[in-house]
Amino acid sequence: MAFRRILILAGILLILFLGMYTWNQRTRTLDEVSTNIGLELAGAVLSPLRAMQDSLQEFWEKYFDLVNVREENEHLKARVEELENLVMADKESLAELERLRKLVDLPQDPAWKALGARVLAGRLGPNAVLASIVVNRGYVTGGRPNTPIITNKGLVGRILRASPHTANVLLLTDPGSRIAVISQSGRVFGILTGQGPDKALEVNFVRRDAKLHQGDILVTAGLDQKFPKGIPAARVKSVAPSDYTQFLTVQAVPLVDLYNLEEVVLLEPTGIVRLPEELDDAPAEFVGPPAPQKTANP
Amino acid sequence: MNGIRNLIWWSLFIVTAIAVQALLPGLDVLVVGLLILLQERDYKNLLWLAPLFIFLQEGVGTRFFGSSMLLYTVTTLFLRMGQWLFEVESFFFIVLLSACLVAPYYALDWLMAPLQNISFDTDKTLEKCLLQALFLPFAWRILTLTRRWTRHNEVAE
Repeated sequence: MAFRRILILAGILLILFLGMYTWNQRTRTLDEVSTNIGLELAGAVLSPLRAMQDSLQEFWEKYFDLVNVREENEHLKARVEELENLVMADKESLAELERLRKLVDLPQDPAWKALGARVLAGRLGPNAVLASIVVNRGYVTGGRPNTPIITNKGLVGRILRASPHTANVLLLTDPGSRIAVISQSGRVFGILTGQGPDKALEVNFVRRDAKLHQGDILVTAGLDQKFPKGIPAARVKSVAPSDYTQFLTVQAVPLVDLYNLEEVVLLEPTGIVRLPEELDDAPAEFVGPPAPQKTANP
Repeated sequence: MNGIRNLIWWSLFIVTAIAVQALLPGLDVLVVGLLILLQERDYKNLLWLAPLFIFLQEGVGTRFFGSSMLLYTVTTLFLRMGQWLFEVESFFFIVLLSACLVAPYYALDWLMAPLQNISFDTDKTLEKCLLQALFLPFAWRILTLTRRWTRHNEVAE
């Protein structure tokens, strides 16, 4: 009798759990609550710990710096002299670059604003099953879901979940990551797909006749409106015709070392929409084929 | 006085647990706290700490809400079942329990992966579960030793 009761109770609890799970999958209410509590608390704990780690590391490094400072000073003096000569030689090139930039008038994209962030941790806890990192910016401080994350070397990923001051970032190596890319040299389009943390990325839907080679740099195409156009994302590792599909089998590697990230840059959307520039020589009136002449009535 | 010591101990435990989880990806340190609460039959603290542990694990994770709840329920059930046969405060029982917990940890990852449409890596999951099984008894041993500090007055009496 008691066993029967336990079975009924277990069944009711299972049904309640499944009900809660499906309701949450649809509404994401519990996900939001847990992110706001759990991720925020973890961020609040990890931020001072990271600051403390930085201070200790700095202190340790300074101690070692002092030990080797005389030898390094001599070396640096020689290096400074060498660089001064180089700077003198490059001044003319810089001036030329300035002139050319003005001449071409390359516009800055006002749709994105760069914000620095500190990486607090990698995957955190047993539920962090996706390739992800935790950063110290949340939706209050510029890190809303889907915000692109980059470093000076290239693309890292995008924000998956955010609490007020902490966020979880989905790395581009995760199998759930899909990014529209274009090759820098051949302008070949493809979809960069993650295959897992230790595996090479895949570039899907690349035409068989595409001019894509090993070593080519892939940059974001900006077609998905999630990432700004032109951020370097990966380098092509291998290109081979596929045995099963009409596309090429392309493998690539990320440009950023995703295992040793310390600081990243968030590209916060500003909400400014860049309108297509008006053509100066656009005709005032519609110019098309000549209108059919009126036929005279007999 | 013991109440304050207890609060300090649990706060330090949560901070340490988060730091250790940041160092060892995939590890569940908070489950050790749940075991201690259940062994001590400290239901007053369990009432606020268990939801906090669940929200913490779910919040820092990338899965839909529910996995930690299920996992902690299974852990509680295993501990309660173990009470009928073993002395729950012995190291041997915790070793046995952590070995038994490999199965639900693995099963949960396997079950939840298709529900969220994410890939399931057999080797990585097994590695994670084994690491958890190795970690749990030693963490439990260290933490139970430090728990004596919170019961200082009781021991003196």
